[in-house]
Amino acid sequence: MNKKFNMKKFLSENSAVVAFVLLFVIAVCLKNTTFLNIRNLTNILLNNSIIGIVALGMTLIIITGGIDLSVGSQLAATGLFTITVFNQTGSIFLGIAAGIAMGMVMGLATGALVAKCSIPAFIVTLGTMSIYRSVAQYFFKGGGILAQGDKVDAFVAISNTRLFGAIPLPILYWLILAVIIGVFSNRVATGRRIYAIGSNEKAAKLSGINVDRVKIATYMISGALVAAASVVEASRLGSMNSASSGTSYEMDAIAAVVIGGTSMSGGKGKIIGTVFGTLTLGIIDNMMNMLGVPTFLVSAIKGAIIIIAVLFQRLLDTEKK
Amino acid sequence: MAKTIVEMREIEKSFNENKVLRKVDFKLKEGSIHALLGENGTGKTTLMNILGGVLPKDSGSILIDGRPVEETGHGMIAFIHQELSLINDLNVYENMFLGRELKKGIFIDRKAMRERTEEILKRMDVELSPDAMVGELSASYKQIVEIAGALMQNAKVIIMDEPTTALTDVEISHIFKLMRDLKAQGVSIVFISHKLNEVVEICDCYTVMRDGVVVATGEVTEETTENKLAGYMVGKELSYDDLYETREVGDVILELKNLSRDREFKDINMNVRKGEIVGVTGLLGDGRSEVFETVYGCNHSYEGSILVDGKAAVLHTTDHAQKLGIAYVPRDRKENGIIKDMSVADNMSVSVLSMYRKGLLLDKKRISESNRKYVKELNIKVADLNNSITSLSGGNQQKAVLGKALGSEPRIVILDNPTQGVDVGAKLEIYNIIMGLAKQGVSFVVLSSEAHEIMMLCDRTYVMFHGEVKAELSRNDFSEERIMVAATGGQI
Repeated sequence: MNKKFNMKKFLSENSAVVAFVLLFVIAVCLKNTTFLNIRNLTNILLNNSIIGIVALGMTLIIITGGIDLSVGSQLAATGLFTITVFNQTGSIFLGIAAGIAMGMVMGLATGALVAKCSIPAFIVTLGTMSIYRSVAQYFFKGGGILAQGDKVDAFVAISNTRLFGAIPLPILYWLILAVIIGVFSNRVATGRRIYAIGSNEKAAKLSGINVDRVKIATYMISGALVAAASVVEASRLGSMNSASSGTSYEMDAIAAVVIGGTSMSGGKGKIIGTVFGTLTLGIIDNMMNMLGVPTFLVSAIKGAIIIIAVLFQRLLDTEKK
Repeated sequence: MAKTIVEMREIEKSFNENKVLRKVDFKLKEGSIHALLGENGTGKTTLMNILGGVLPKDSGSILIDGRPVEETGHGMIAFIHQELSLINDLNVYENMFLGRELKKGIFIDRKAMRERTEEILKRMDVELSPDAMVGELSASYKQIVEIAGALMQNAKVIIMDEPTTALTDVEISHIFKLMRDLKAQGVSIVFISHKLNEVVEICDCYTVMRDGVVVATGEVTEETTENKLAGYMVGKELSYDDLYETREVGDVILELKNLSRDREFKDINMNVRKGEIVGVTGLLGDGRSEVFETVYGCNHSYEGSILVDGKAAVLHTTDHAQKLGIAYVPRDRKENGIIKDMSVADNMSVSVLSMYRKGLLLDKKRISESNRKYVKELNIKVADLNNSITSLSGGNQQKAVLGKALGSEPRIVILDNPTQGVDVGAKLEIYNIIMGLAKQGVSFVVLSSEAHEIMMLCDRTYVMFHGEVKAELSRNDFSEERIMVAATGGQI
């Protein structure tokens, strides 16, 4: 009896891990050799590392009780800016620094509007999503930009190098950032305050927490992570496009966070859950690809799985009570 | 001899392995007000949930009007919960008919609903428009709407779970009048309360529970005193008499000069000395909470000045107030005090995170030392600090919130309704903690609408009315009457 109860608690607290393992086993059963080969597994990780990085920041924002719909547009805008600065100055460092600074400024703007002006995050970022995308398209006339110059090989190498000739670097960037953000959310004062604010903003404020400042910091951290993801993407492709780069990334990132067990109403969630949530989405993509599911149906199946995942968590939650 | 309307016999109930009710007997007479007393977590709410049909019983029997509940159902019994279940954005009659709207064809029959509502409010002798928006009503009128809803469904028994905690004295007397009227009409009321003076005042019978059993039951007579009831509840005699101790107070540490804020309060002048316990009392809407939320930096704009240690402080954020040594224990614990998704440990340390750091990271060891220290000092009953804060009883939750505030080692502690929904035993403990710290030189501002709380604890009190200070009384001048006169806007 007692053991069964603990099992349920384990399931509900680690539902993302469970979903991941479940899908993994299904994938192995269906397509044993094609799925379970190092190259395929590496590809799943690689193809999801950019969304994985974006989802880390999204997790923090959703834990505060907010949301950011503009991450896809932010990714396009910061990536375009990074390549532009890189092309102009020939400096990789300046390019990346400029992109990350821009991401943080965007986060600052969103955070300030959400915290100081008390506009719901959904509305603010619905607006900034259009603004960033539209302005980017205006400056680049709807087109894109190629990385150029003497150091272009080094720039492209950022994402297209394999450690020991086996592990693509973007996977490492993702996992290192996941560990940093994980530690931040658990072991740093601001990280803990994010949870307090998301669970009960009034109580957090009356506990001497500067709620506005923590919220703004959260959006700025997310902005920096989005910019980092955009560097990975820009380097991987050697280019960025104002119309197509980053489109619908916000949906994938939110899906990864939700599958990872973070509550949309804030206050609850774990970085490790989001990592597994991202992987779960990745495996779904990969499986459908292997099974030859028609391209136009892929999104429908993904959508259904997101709903099922959350329904599953709900059931576990109510049973716990 | 009035007949028995409800008889519960040998009711038992367990949650998992935890037995919360053991062979509980409970009898309710028709047309009586029956107090159900006990500290938090003794099973009174569970018992009433069983009576109301919210929870199933494990064993035992319930007779309603002489017939087993299995035949009669729970329809005659209405349970009015602590958290009211009204919808603020609908008006009174819409709330009363929520889920059982009267219809004419496919359309709702507004006219009929309005008329029925008017009829019931009239029967209750209450002046209230059926069209008033519930969100704009005061707390007592919201209770009245709930009671009206119960009467409309022909409830013979109304269970009221701590109906007066959120009410001011005037509102309470309003509700009491209504309760007496209902009693005269043959309705029986079960009254769950922590305020023993109210029990003595209004109830006909009492039943006291402790640890899931009934320890005392009987009629309220002249010999039924508050102390006697409190004694039943905690199992020993309690006394508040020797609580207050005279102390030396120091210099002025906090001073408010002509503090004003639009439509909330104006020209507030107050001061607090080192080691002093200062009360601020008044009725609902007197603005005392707003004044001290401003002092704690919750509001960006205010006029006038706040002086800490004689120096003007610009208090626009709460973390700044905390750095100046001010701590705040808010009213309405559930909404403003506890963070329900977090553990007891996380709740207690959320204020002090920046005090315990190792480089960038938190120093978890010192944080848990600090938590354990306050668990011990405040005698918080908790099995494991990693348990959810909501697993604690109300009194222990309140002590945890107090522990959170004290963790920042403040010099001035603002307590807003510090014993709201707290049982008598924990109440006395909280008062003793306040007195002990005041002796060590910590200053307290106690905001309370309960005059006797102020009189028991404070060296001095301000009385507010409609956002202004009406009177300042020193301990020698304390009397419930004086406070009441000033609180209703009169001159002393």
